[in-house]
Amino acid sequence: MATTAIAQPEPVGAVSHEARAGKYLSFQLGTEEFAIQVLKVREIMGIQHITAVPHMPSDVRGVINLRGRVVPVIDLRLKFGLEEMEYGQRTCIIVVQLQKDSTVQMGIIVDEVSEVLNLAAADIQNTPDFGSEAAPPYLLGMANVKGKVKILLDIDEILTGSEFGGIRELLHSTPSVN
Amino acid sequence: MAVHDHDNPARNAIAERIESLATELLVRGEEAAAEGWAETLRTIAREAATAGGVAVAAVASELAAAAEDTQGAAVSAGIARLQAALESWDTASRAQSAVAWETDAGGLVADPELLSDFIVEAREHLDSVEARLLEIERDPTDRDAIHSIFRSFHTVKGLAGFLELKGVRDVAHEVETVLDLVRESRLAMTAAVVDVVLASLDYLNTCVRALEASGPAAEFSDPAALLLRVRAAAAVSEPAAEAAPERPETDAEPAASAAVAGGKQAAKNGAARARAVKIDTDKLDYLVDMVGEMVIAQSLIQYDPDLHLERQPRLARNLSQLARITGEVQRTTMAMRMVPIAGVFQKMARLVRDLARKFGRQVEFESFGGDVELDRNIVEELADPLMHMIRNALDHGVEPPEERAAAGKNPSARVRLRAMHQAGQIVIEVSDDGRGLDRQKILAKARSQGLVTGNSELSDSEICNLIFQPGFSTAVQLSDVSGRGVGMDVVRKQITKLRGSIEIHSKPGAGTMFSLKLPLTLAIIDGLVVGVGEHRYVIPIFSVRELLRPSAEAVSTVENRAEMLLIRDRLVPIVRLYQKFAVEARATRPEDAVLVLAEFDGRSFCLMVDTVIGKQEIVIKSLGSMFQKVAGVAGGAILGDGHVALILDPPALFGKGSER
Repeated sequence: MATTAIAQPEPVGAVSHEARAGKYLSFQLGTEEFAIQVLKVREIMGIQHITAVPHMPSDVRGVINLRGRVVPVIDLRLKFGLEEMEYGQRTCIIVVQLQKDSTVQMGIIVDEVSEVLNLAAADIQNTPDFGSEAAPPYLLGMANVKGKVKILLDIDEILTGSEFGGIRELLHSTPSVN
Repeated sequence: MAVHDHDNPARNAIAERIESLATELLVRGEEAAAEGWAETLRTIAREAATAGGVAVAAVASELAAAAEDTQGAAVSAGIARLQAALESWDTASRAQSAVAWETDAGGLVADPELLSDFIVEAREHLDSVEARLLEIERDPTDRDAIHSIFRSFHTVKGLAGFLELKGVRDVAHEVETVLDLVRESRLAMTAAVVDVVLASLDYLNTCVRALEASGPAAEFSDPAALLLRVRAAAAVSEPAAEAAPERPETDAEPAASAAVAGGKQAAKNGAARARAVKIDTDKLDYLVDMVGEMVIAQSLIQYDPDLHLERQPRLARNLSQLARITGEVQRTTMAMRMVPIAGVFQKMARLVRDLARKFGRQVEFESFGGDVELDRNIVEELADPLMHMIRNALDHGVEPPEERAAAGKNPSARVRLRAMHQAGQIVIEVSDDGRGLDRQKILAKARSQGLVTGNSELSDSEICNLIFQPGFSTAVQLSDVSGRGVGMDVVRKQITKLRGSIEIHSKPGAGTMFSLKLPLTLAIIDGLVVGVGEHRYVIPIFSVRELLRPSAEAVSTVENRAEMLLIRDRLVPIVRLYQKFAVEARATRPEDAVLVLAEFDGRSFCLMVDTVIGKQEIVIKSLGSMFQKVAGVAGGAILGDGHVALILDPPALFGKGSER
């Protein structure tokens, strides 16, 4: 494992191994496991009434009332171009606090929340090669926990960036890391 | 008082003087005491200023002026303040004795606390001076006002001297000299004198602003020219025509209400300072937000069906008590953000005066209702539009005196500002008795600008409303205050932004009146909650004119596209909300739906919705940057059940979603 990581060139703008270590909240989206830094998570709640806002892309489901604050909610499945799924008992809204603008909170809808992982720097490896391209900035890396691969996301980049073409390729390419 | 244990002789001398005054007060009683104190107090002020006791100096000089007017009670009450100031000086000097005594005063300007105290105090005084000056101009014999101005300049001089703000001190000193002559009736308060004092006031205001912006490093322009002007004014020793012992009852005079409010404020300064607390506006806004939440949370509980209130009278009673209290808390919090409009009116009074000079008009300015209170944010945003309207009134509306006389009018025109409450809104009227809007000229101009095409017949009010069109300006000559083509459309934009509306009433030859309608506050609106399918939306009530259930015959379709509703011989376009927002609706035919007749900027349209759910007070929430560009949505509101509803923006809904 470690050798593969060293053999790969450091992606441009990638966070150093040390900074990537820490606690992650992992969640499920389709068949994949993703994780985001716990530091950025404000709270996790079950699915609730979402007020639709017109003229918005389909992944922007609308707004919710978070204790008096109006917070936008984004369906991560749709954001990543996955198939839409009906919300159920296990569907969760993870409210995250964006670091770029500390006053902005956003909710992301995921299939289900799994667990909090404590990842050491050695557990995290760089993302596999995207051919000639550098890894997109929203990917922090990958972690292998008990035989399952978790994709570590930089949620700031996901919610403020606009280009997610790479994510589907990544989903297809993940088995090769194992 | 253990006053002699300090090794600062100047301070000890002052302390001794103050103590002897206090003793004298005890012995001789309040009435007699004030006699002959002015001199002593002034000495104290001077000594304190040189020794570094800025608070003592300020209080003493204020008292000196009061003593001169033989206001015994004020002076005796002031002695306690003087002692308090002395004590706080002791504390301060103990903390920073080495710095305060040894360094030059330049170091004192660098003390941010002293500097900000100076800025606050100087500004209070300068504001009151402006109000008083305008009173004097109306009634040059108002001794009260002259005394008050004199005191203010005196205090500013004292403070500035202490901080070694040389320019400020010199200007204040020279003005004080002029005012002293006026006080002693050796100089008449002519318009020229008022001009000079106003010019000095402007200079001082600039200095204060510069200090506020860039701190002690602020640079001032050289006041030399101004000083010469002031001295020249003082040199024209022309005695006042009459001493006028009796002064008019300014308080009872509504015409001066705005100015008087300012003046009174200054007079009550001492008392007001003790009773008012300065609060960071961010904290206040946060408090208002949280109180809004509390009210929502309270109503969530009160209307919770799980509580079965009908079976629990005691709980119901307690909850309604809670509702009353939260309502009261909300009202009080909102009131904390309210400020009287008098401050803005006062600025306008000054503007009218300056512009009248500039344009060679004779104008009497009146303002009513300066005590009407508005949300602080609105008052701040209101100054610019009012300024534009006043400029227009003086430049375009009011005729030169000769022309007025020829038309059989009073050569002196009347420009009036009036604020009042009306149906939960604030109405502000800006009126003049000038020549009124020139319809011909407006129409010709609009044609040449391409704003009106063809030979379309326009109604009188439509012609008047043309002046709100972007790029419209009838000024033949470009002056530096109006006629830049960014006049009234900017005004209307600004007023609309404040969720207000503007109307014109104009009679040729008789004058023009602009009437602004504004909400009391920006944070809360009355909203009409409507339903479309399973969605709920809020329409601001101020744009709703009526609710209709149309008959099928009243609806006609133009060119298979635009639907129109015939109401009272008028065709009004229909906008289907469910189509605009691409949502499912229950009612897809106008005769099954409810039409909300909305009006803005003199245009109206019908918004088609399924149902009207009710009217509700709504706390407006921003949707955040993500939804900034959503056409037709002005914000979000949290309804009684805790769900978010979108607040609609009727003009944008009607404007094909492009006007935002």
